[in-house]
Amino acid sequence: MSKPVPLVKLDEKEYIESANQACQGCTGATVARIVGKVLGGQMVRQEVACCGPAFGNLYQPSIYAEIFEGAGAMMTGLSRAFKRMDRDDAIVTGIIGDGGTFDIGFQGLSGAAERNENVLWVCYDNEAYMNTGGQRSSATTKYAQTTTTPIGEFSRGKKERRKNVAALVAMHHVPYMATASVAYPEDLIGKLEYAKKLKGFRFILVSAPCPTGWRTEPQYAVKVAKDMVLSGMWPLYEVIDGEKLKLTFKPKEPLKPVKDVLKIQGRFRHVTDDEVKELQDEVSAYWKRLVEKDGGPFF
Amino acid sequence: MVDKFEVMVGNKAVAYVAKLARVKFISAFPITPQTTIVQYISDMIANGEIDSEYVTTEGELTAQASALTATAAGVRSFTATAGPGVLYMHHPMHATSNARLPLVMAIMHRGVKGMQPDHTDMMSQRDTSWIMLECENSQEILDTGIMAYKIAEDERVRLPAIFAGDGYILSYTDEPVEIPDQAKIDAFLPPYKTTYPLLPEQGPDNRRAQMALWGFGMDEQARWKIQQDAMEAAKKVIKEVNTEYKKLFGRGYGNGLIEEYKTKDVDAVLVAMGTIASTARTAIDKLQADGKKVGLVRLKAFKPFPAEEFQKIAPKVKAMGIIDRNISCGSGGICFSEIRSSIYDVEERPKTLEFYAGLNGKEVRVQDLIKMGEKTLKAASGAKVTPLVEWV
Repeated sequence: MSKPVPLVKLDEKEYIESANQACQGCTGATVARIVGKVLGGQMVRQEVACCGPAFGNLYQPSIYAEIFEGAGAMMTGLSRAFKRMDRDDAIVTGIIGDGGTFDIGFQGLSGAAERNENVLWVCYDNEAYMNTGGQRSSATTKYAQTTTTPIGEFSRGKKERRKNVAALVAMHHVPYMATASVAYPEDLIGKLEYAKKLKGFRFILVSAPCPTGWRTEPQYAVKVAKDMVLSGMWPLYEVIDGEKLKLTFKPKEPLKPVKDVLKIQGRFRHVTDDEVKELQDEVSAYWKRLVEKDGGPFF
Repeated sequence: MVDKFEVMVGNKAVAYVAKLARVKFISAFPITPQTTIVQYISDMIANGEIDSEYVTTEGELTAQASALTATAAGVRSFTATAGPGVLYMHHPMHATSNARLPLVMAIMHRGVKGMQPDHTDMMSQRDTSWIMLECENSQEILDTGIMAYKIAEDERVRLPAIFAGDGYILSYTDEPVEIPDQAKIDAFLPPYKTTYPLLPEQGPDNRRAQMALWGFGMDEQARWKIQQDAMEAAKKVIKEVNTEYKKLFGRGYGNGLIEEYKTKDVDAVLVAMGTIASTARTAIDKLQADGKKVGLVRLKAFKPFPAEEFQKIAPKVKAMGIIDRNISCGSGGICFSEIRSSIYDVEERPKTLEFYAGLNGKEVRVQDLIKMGEKTLKAASGAKVTPLVEWV
């Protein structure tokens, strides 16, 4: 099980270029910065099409290929080659968006997880294809407005529920699966430190709000991420070997109402009370289930 | 140091390439008629004949993309596919050549609009900047696979390479194949070294190298020019490697780019690729026995396209009958277009006739090739022949 690590213990050295192309308030860049500081000199990074190559110009070797769907495949090739070269000390890492994880990259994710490839997959989840201008992904929360799920007479935003990739990855019986949030860096660092020491397929799904795409003021990006955790919308937990589930942070009960989390996000400004209630019921039910399972078998 | 003979099918000859080249990373997904390659490799790994990472992927895209990064990281890699599998690899194939990675891949042809063999799978990858070498029999598959690594890894080339054979026809046909001695292969094919190592300690230097590799900061067209230049350089390298292989192992294939068969003092030639060329040899023998002056040119390399070779042949013959086991609908046979374009600037150029044959596995018989030879010869005599384009 991971243990939170205080921020002061982080490497002072920066691994991310200060002059990067991230938008104001980009939390994906913050995730990349933290990943760099934790993995540092051991990291070899696979890049695929996403905001990552723009903000994540880390001072570590990386290979970029224009294969959006290829994160799982390309990390497989790197880690197997390093194994053959007796360089298992190299941590093959992907800092991959939700498109390259949930959607176009999902087959490769499942394949690499099933084969238990020795890689660390960090998904910075901003809940849409932000690099191409904010189109819906299967990570987008229901009713969210995106550029492909606009609000109009015949559209209430995204129609479908969010895909539960965290659970899907855990169901591959991988050594480590965790959710994390940019608003809880101690928890994220602890999980990265824990994952770093393991071999096999490790997956960390990090909530990384995109103020540009979420139509939120940049200064509220971390607040949104924090409120998502406090409301139960983004539970922080980990599953070891696909078996044991542990909530790594339990927000104070009663949880923050979902309504309060939505109202500071422009992408939900249109939602009705009924729609909010539907989202609240889903969140409450899932949170209840996780609390029941906490410390026990995942399924 | 003794070479051994074994009766084997073409797919096993492909597996032997992976073994003899001492590849350290293999990725593959089964597809008819390539499937038994994957099985032979699995067996060879299970019994310790091959010592390599082996990823049985969840699809061809992953097979290609994982072999790409394994090659980039620094190990010699191998994959194999056919037909729709080639199409599924298309997008990462561009990335492999774009990164100048000498990955070698076997294709056992299967058409893309049916299950039977033709060259439309490989031809659909025409513009991916991959070297493409076509084989006629199982022995040639084994030899060409080994040569492909040497060609692809040459510093002057550094492009990925395909060696291909007609699926089904070669996949499942037993033929005696000489297996070269491993020590001789090791001497011919030294261990692979990557150009830009990706190890953690390389730090930002590697990143700069990668950026340069990808052409960042260069002229927008630079990536294409680099690949075109490498492809042109490959013509010379292919010839050199073919000559060296012949010297060491006693087998070469023409000059590496094309192979001429009984073309001395002929009035016309047929041009064929792959197993059709084998059948054509019999047809040429019969035609020449009847005093008909028609020879055969076999396309061994499709990419780089041996334009100069055809320019040399062009003034010597009055007609060329070009057989295409492929088609680019809307224009026509791809070999036909390439050859006609190659010889355009030759003043005394021959007439060209187009034959579509063997598409979607249609049987091409000796009598079909005799007819093609006779028709080409008739055109060479100056007589009018119709139609100039024929579906055999």
